[in-house]
Amino acid sequence: MTDIKELQNEREQLFRDLFSGKAPKRVPVTNPATLEFAIQYYGEDLAEAQWDIARCEPVFDKFCQEFPTDTSPVGSLRLPAFYQILGSKAIVMGSGGFMQHPEVMGLMPEEYDEFIAAPYDFIIDTVLPRLYTELDAEPSKKAMVLAKAVKAFSDDWATLGAIRDRTNAKYGMVAPVVSLTEAPFDFMADFLRSFKGISSDIRRYPEKVVAACEAVLPLMIKKGKLPNPNILGFSFIPLHMAPYMREKDFAKFYWPTFKTLVEELAVMGQKVQLFVEHDWMRYLDYLYELPENTIMRFEYGDPKVVADKLGKKHVLSGFYPVTLLQTGDKAQCIDKAKELLDILAPTGRYWFQADKSIISTDSDGKVADNLRAVLEYVYTNGTY
Amino acid sequence: MLDLQALTQAVGDLDEEVVVSMLEEFVASDPSGDEAYKVVGACQQGMAIVGDLFEKNEYFVGDLIFAGELLTQAIDILKPVLGGEESQKVGKVVIGTVEGDLHDIGKNIFGSMIEAAGFEVYDLGIDVTAAAFVDKVKEVKPQIVGMSGVLTLALDAMKATVDALNEAGVRDGVRVIIGGNPVNEDACKHIGADAFTTNAAEGVKICQGWV
Ligand code: B12
Repeated sequence: MTDIKELQNEREQLFRDLFSGKAPKRVPVTNPATLEFAIQYYGEDLAEAQWDIARCEPVFDKFCQEFPTDTSPVGSLRLPAFYQILGSKAIVMGSGGFMQHPEVMGLMPEEYDEFIAAPYDFIIDTVLPRLYTELDAEPSKKAMVLAKAVKAFSDDWATLGAIRDRTNAKYGMVAPVVSLTEAPFDFMADFLRSFKGISSDIRRYPEKVVAACEAVLPLMIKKGKLPNPNILGFSFIPLHMAPYMREKDFAKFYWPTFKTLVEELAVMGQKVQLFVEHDWMRYLDYLYELPENTIMRFEYGDPKVVADKLGKKHVLSGFYPVTLLQTGDKAQCIDKAKELLDILAPTGRYWFQADKSIISTDSDGKVADNLRAVLEYVYTNGTY
Repeated sequence: MLDLQALTQAVGDLDEEVVVSMLEEFVASDPSGDEAYKVVGACQQGMAIVGDLFEKNEYFVGDLIFAGELLTQAIDILKPVLGGEESQKVGKVVIGTVEGDLHDIGKNIFGSMIEAAGFEVYDLGIDVTAAAFVDKVKEVKPQIVGMSGVLTLALDAMKATVDALNEAGVRDGVRVIIGGNPVNEDACKHIGADAFTTNAAEGVKICQGWV
């Protein structure tokens, strides 16, 4: 047991160093495969298992044992009970059992002024009943629905949290505390106006979009706040819309409130991890400006250029293409890991994570075999 | 008659105000159906400019989406002078985003462009099952079925749909075209479609060649 505790301390130290700008003893490794992957890989039914997370403990235990990494892979982005009870339209389970986000519109274009004047009230009174149909009810029923949903939410997460604590104690993994928030413009796109709606709004009502982003900024800051800001926790911000915009639109609509969000969180003494989705190569100079040691996990782009431009200031991660695990052989998969280590480790600020999460298994188990080989390679060869 | 070149340019610039006011003025002048089709042609040329600027990385997906909206709006304004219900349609096409996929931006752009080209369009929406495609094909007997999808798994759903058309004995009566980012020649063969494209304008040309 003391060995395990030591291992856990050592792992925590890796992240403490990494997040404060010191090169850790070795490159920390995170498993890109998720709970969805594990459930399917060990032969459980994805849809059912997510409804009864307690019964997955043996699955998660095996997963942690057979795919050792520094951080715990036990977690989930979304569990279904909460969303189902609320009658969610914004997050739904697809036929394959994956939780997904369809195009939704919580705010109509003619409602911008009302929204801007009091965004929180507008969300509670108008947006929630639109996106969560069971909340579109009499106050007494609404209160019941909300109580049930919150109960299901806290029960599910308590169960998952307890499984994580037990597996961590057994395998010495670490689990940073994470909160989730969004860039104000992304929040407007994802839950209020839709991808389509916001793309038209920036041309039709540009000033209203700017004002709306400013109006939701305080809510996004609050949403990203951790209970106890701590060097081992971070606020996770997945970035969506920027690559689909012209730079001049980005500079006007996206960047100003996003930058303030990250700065405000940093001032509170907490780390921020950006999931830099899609290709942000056009925006590296902007990313450079963010507070020192912002963690940036990239999906696409040229890691060399990113290392040159950002490697002295920020923590870099991502890039490893998970599709290669499906198409490549073991040697190719390991070569790719080596290539990324050679480029990114010299910055002293590299964390091994992949470009995307792995959410499904293949029939012949190739992905799992390749994944194991890559994780092991980085674990043993990841020096700075 | 309005300045066709200026209209094309305004569509290319995605200048909604100018496009709408030009078209409204044009419609108010009580033009002939022939003239109206020339105006549609000018809008489509404008969309070609948008496509070029997208290729050159001057426009991005968000701009494409707005271009789709703008085109739909333009066709709506022009509808009353395009000859109305009785006018001869070039052909019928059934379109939809295949099962499991909820993305419809590309499908909608293709839908407005093919409608502008004079086709009668039956749009089944998103997450369309193979059975729904089969039922609609039996009902309206189109010349063309257009399937859209951007998820990798959409390719399997496209194959299942073609298989279902075969089983229902209606595959031979229609041409099948597929579109959306992941389609390519291999996928097209595997699925058993007649044509594929990742460019809506090219898709319209292919369909025109079929009727
Ligand atoms: C916009 C978007 C969304 C919007 C969709 C809004 C809407 N109403 O469609 C929202 C935010 C809702 C969304 C949700 C999701 N998305 Co999405 N999304 C995109 C995005 C950014 C753009 C897609 C798009 O519209 N492109 C623009 C159009 C114009 O291009 P197009 O479809 O290829 O169409 C052109 C041609 O192909 C042709 N065409 C299209 N259809 C047809 C049909 C015919 C007959 C013809 C002739 C021509 C034709 O004409 C068009 C113009 O030339 C892409 C990323 C990207 N850069 O592509 C991801 C992407 C497609 N999404 C992705 C994912 C994973 C999802 C989600 C599952 C995420 C989640 N976990 O919830 C959900 C989807 C749930 C589902 N089951 O579908 C992945 C797909 C990965 C994969 N390989 O399968 C992508 C690639 C992002 C990524 N890099 O991971 N998404």
